[in-house]
Amino acid sequence: MAGKSGRTIDATPKDVWKKNILSWEGMLVILFLLINIFCRCISPNYTVANVLREMPKYLSEIFLLFPMAYILMLGEIDISVGSTVCLSATIACIASNAGIPFPIVIVLTILTGAICGMVNGCILVKFPELPSMIVTLGTQIVFRGIAEIILGSGGSVSVTNTAGFRAIAGKIGPFPYIFFLVLISGVVFIVISMKTMFGRSLYAIGSNSRTSFYSGIKVKKVKFIVFTLMGVFAAIAALFLTSSLYGANTTTGNGFEMDAIAMAVFGGIATTGGKGRLIGGLISAFIIICLRIGLGQINMNPQVILIILGALLICAVLLPNISSGLKLKKKS
Amino acid sequence: MEKKSLWKKITGSREASLVIVLIVLCALISIKNPSFLALYNILEILKNNAVIMIMALGMLCVLLIGGIDISITSSLAFAGMTVGMLFKNGVIHNTFLGFIIAMAIGSACGFVIGLIIAKGNVTPIIATMGFMYIYRGFAYLVANSQWAGADALGGFKDFALESYLGFGVINNVLVIVIVCYIIFFIMMKWTKFGRNIYAVGSNAEAAEISGIHVARVKLAVYTLMGLLAGLCGALAVTVYASAQPNMMQNKEMDVIAACVIGGVSMSGGRGSVGGALLGALILAVIAKALPLVGIDALAQNTVKGVIIIAVIVLNVVTQRMMDKNNLERREM
Repeated sequence: MAGKSGRTIDATPKDVWKKNILSWEGMLVILFLLINIFCRCISPNYTVANVLREMPKYLSEIFLLFPMAYILMLGEIDISVGSTVCLSATIACIASNAGIPFPIVIVLTILTGAICGMVNGCILVKFPELPSMIVTLGTQIVFRGIAEIILGSGGSVSVTNTAGFRAIAGKIGPFPYIFFLVLISGVVFIVISMKTMFGRSLYAIGSNSRTSFYSGIKVKKVKFIVFTLMGVFAAIAALFLTSSLYGANTTTGNGFEMDAIAMAVFGGIATTGGKGRLIGGLISAFIIICLRIGLGQINMNPQVILIILGALLICAVLLPNISSGLKLKKKS
Repeated sequence: MEKKSLWKKITGSREASLVIVLIVLCALISIKNPSFLALYNILEILKNNAVIMIMALGMLCVLLIGGIDISITSSLAFAGMTVGMLFKNGVIHNTFLGFIIAMAIGSACGFVIGLIIAKGNVTPIIATMGFMYIYRGFAYLVANSQWAGADALGGFKDFALESYLGFGVINNVLVIVIVCYIIFFIMMKWTKFGRNIYAVGSNAEAAEISGIHVARVKLAVYTLMGLLAGLCGALAVTVYASAQPNMMQNKEMDVIAACVIGGVSMSGGRGSVGGALLGALILAVIAKALPLVGIDALAQNTVKGVIIIAVIVLNVVTQRMMDKNNLERREM
């Protein structure tokens, strides 16, 4: 009775422990522990304090993961996020340099991101025949292009009025603010996707957009909201990125969209839609961050780290397919 | 059935509207700047866009079977970089051998991707995203923080300057482009393999039942894409007279955009060699024309992105009108 979503309407209770450990998320937790042990073994500097100190610069990408996971659940994709981050970071830097009070800088930045997201959402809702891949490919070029125009011939801007950005980069004990913010928004996003009507409609649309439309789900509205949310969180990521880089240039946020998609897919969220849980994405994000910090500490070539991440990503998608293929063979 | 009039045939086809767009574009630009349509200028545009034009052919096949490949420029860099280093270190001196090696590396790259997608059932966007990281990493490893400049390439870079393949009239690079287009035009229209590609893209299940080895076709298409990427790796090295590990980074989006502008459907089964050619030409003309008509260098990316979005939206609108017309005819 398993549908495309992989959920069954089987009422017989199963062994809860066995089920939890054997699920994809259970495997990810084990992998997370293994990666940490591995990093501790290869690098003597891999201590809790050091990891927490290096974490903030990677954490801002996790903000992109949550709405990206929603978009993937819908069966869509958004590759314009990196450019939205670039444009929002540019606006944040310039607004802050102009002497505008920091709360208004935050509002302006988030507004920029929201508008970017709305443009994507608007085009996709008006022209549902267009695949999101190609629309966001176009807006990817446009958003970064606008940032290039604003940045002018120099191509970069640095923050002179750093007070506000230094404030949001602060810490409570050893934990930076962003760490708590990531966890809180993670929990909110997970609860929304599991327990609310909006969250369940994401899965429904991803499984079959047409049947969800006929069963009364406002497909267009949901799509529009999710893409706007993506823009808003890209702007939040841009704010925290600026608080660690104190500047923006034309290459800011390059490749962020791929990182966010990779985290989500590694966490078991299928790009075909309707499948996967956000908690897996969150665990896999921390796996990737820990691996990057650990391998970075032993001065491994960043390109080799990319090769390892690429191989991990492919294995993560390939292994379940192979095991299910073998099961099918056994049955027949 | 009533025979379609020639006028209907012309206005009804997608390529015709693209030809009109191209002609209008060229006319507008040459009013503003008469030197644009000079033969020398046109040949220069074609030569500089040879890489995009050739890869658009491979991407056409990949999109036709409902896939996507965003790793092509990484395979290109890997193949090009390897050839560049081989020339730099004096291992090979023969231009022809350089091309063969690049194509072999590209095919191997494509074959591995094809295996993962066809046999491992991994979604194309995820598989190629992983390999985008991996092959780009390989390119950096091969380069070993060096690059091959014009003097290191020796005789290899002269290939793009001479025209012995075109009997002294047409540049070598253009000859390769033309040969590729002729081969693909014949292959897609009249060979079994070409028609199989369309069959798989229109309905993979039906193709499988009617005796086509869908997995084999997919494997062949991705290998073909890799072969072309390898060829383009060598071409890019000769045209730009340098081999760097980051070459053509992010240009895969231009290739996809060229295909989509040319009316190739992202969901598979629809598209033609002529469309891919026109799409690539329109992109090339736009890129070359923007500075000629006096648009500021900073604004060029924005304009390019807006034009891409406008063209795909226009495509959808004309498609809707065509469908509506067809429906009306049926009702009568």
